[in-house]
Amino acid sequence: MKKRDDVLVGIVMAVAIVVVILGSLWLARGGLSKGYPLYAKFPWSAGLKQGQPVLLGGVNVGYVDEVDLRPDGTVLSTFRVGKQYKVPIGTTATVVANGIFGDMAIALTPKAPNAQSIPPGDTVPVGPSAPGIAQLTSKADSVATAVNAITLALNKELVTNGGAADLRRSLASSNALILNMNRLVSQFSTIAAEQNRQLSLTQASLRRATSGIDSAKIDSTLVNFRQTSANMATLSADFKQTSAKLDSILAKANSGTGSIGLALNDPGAYNDIRQVIQHMDSIMVDLKKNPKKYINLRIF
Amino acid sequence: MRDIGRGLGEPGTYARETIRQMRNIGVDSLPLAAIVAAFIGAVTAFQTRYQLFGGVQLSVVGLISRQSIILELGPLLTGLVLTGRVGARITAELGTMRVTEQIDALETLAYDPIAYLVVPRLIAAVVMVPILTILANAIGVGTAFLTAIVATDVSSAAFSEGLRLAFAPFQIVYSIIKATIFGAAIAFFCSYEGYTTTAGAEGVGRSTAQAVVITSVAILVLDALTALLLAPYLQA
Repeated sequence: MKKRDDVLVGIVMAVAIVVVILGSLWLARGGLSKGYPLYAKFPWSAGLKQGQPVLLGGVNVGYVDEVDLRPDGTVLSTFRVGKQYKVPIGTTATVVANGIFGDMAIALTPKAPNAQSIPPGDTVPVGPSAPGIAQLTSKADSVATAVNAITLALNKELVTNGGAADLRRSLASSNALILNMNRLVSQFSTIAAEQNRQLSLTQASLRRATSGIDSAKIDSTLVNFRQTSANMATLSADFKQTSAKLDSILAKANSGTGSIGLALNDPGAYNDIRQVIQHMDSIMVDLKKNPKKYINLRIF
Repeated sequence: MRDIGRGLGEPGTYARETIRQMRNIGVDSLPLAAIVAAFIGAVTAFQTRYQLFGGVQLSVVGLISRQSIILELGPLLTGLVLTGRVGARITAELGTMRVTEQIDALETLAYDPIAYLVVPRLIAAVVMVPILTILANAIGVGTAFLTAIVATDVSSAAFSEGLRLAFAPFQIVYSIIKATIFGAAIAFFCSYEGYTTTAGAEGVGRSTAQAVVITSVAILVLDALTALLLAPYLQA
């Protein structure tokens, strides 16, 4: 009975010890695997604690093993990455908030895909840190100060120096101007409507005129024009030929060749003609004087 | 207290009895502690899920279940359950021995009754209540996990994420410290009530009831004091 008590108590205690060790390990770092160590030296660790996760590209790949504040004021963080994960060269480490409960994590951010990885025991360069609550509060404070200064300046300009009254007057003037503009716009609208109406009427007239034209007649007219034009071309060609012939005739006449040329250019022929004409004149004179000499008219 | 200190100096007297008491207090109480922890874990996960308003991450169920069970419900409910089961037994045993003059007989035989009767129970309670609490915590978290993924829309991945969120090993140490204090309180107050029992069988009953009430209140007070003293270190 005594021995049985010893065994049972021992079993229960052993189970409890195993449970507490395995449970703590799983809760703290997700399992028994230790992974390989890497280091990062942060100027500000933002409350990073042992057991917190290490994220590579947003995936949980390890846990923070140790956080050591060094005499030079930097925080040397030792973290372990699972053996199945490789951290590409060029990766930077930053401490980031993990969730909304103030938990922190180390974020490993690769600069670019790289087949080569950081060897175990090496130090990962530190990247730009995410702004903490204090920094955000400080920014908000400076913004609030600037807003306050602007408010004071506006108060001085608008209230103390009467800017608000000026503004009100300007607004009233603007209002009147806008009313005038509205009237003008309405007048323009009326004119535009009238113009539009006139244009519509013109368009309608044009449409009517266009619809009144007999396209068959236009076609026949065009055909006639075309024929006339062809006739004119033929006439022109005939003219050209006639002109050429006349040119050659005139050239012959000028050169004194042929009958006309001789008639035109031979002085003898001219004189003969003159003598003929003078004879004719003397005959006509004699005829007038003695008609019966030349004309012996008997009727019946 | 002084008598207990003196009794601790006689390991030959209490060593064998301590193992027997560890069996009585620890091993025999394990089913009860497990059942309580299982139901507490299930109810915690279930109620936590339906207390969340829309938009809150469901991993919070894992976080709240872990924190509630490990930091508070595990040690406190195990302590209160053991007060009823173990504390009442200790008071009744010692009270009966007192009213039947067995303790007087031990003194007559030159046995130190404190070393023989109280010290083994005290050691057994101080050792086994934390052990039971650790197992209760594990069972509670386990049933919370099962309940969350079976009876609610919380996924196992979300629950596991919440379970591991913001965990510090001191949270388990905190739970063990509480359980140790509660174990000591159960053994001390119940042994005292039983050891000082008077007036026969009626006195035994009165002492037992009184021991359970006093120990339960003492556990609640010690729980509050422990939280006041140690809670700041949970964030470290």
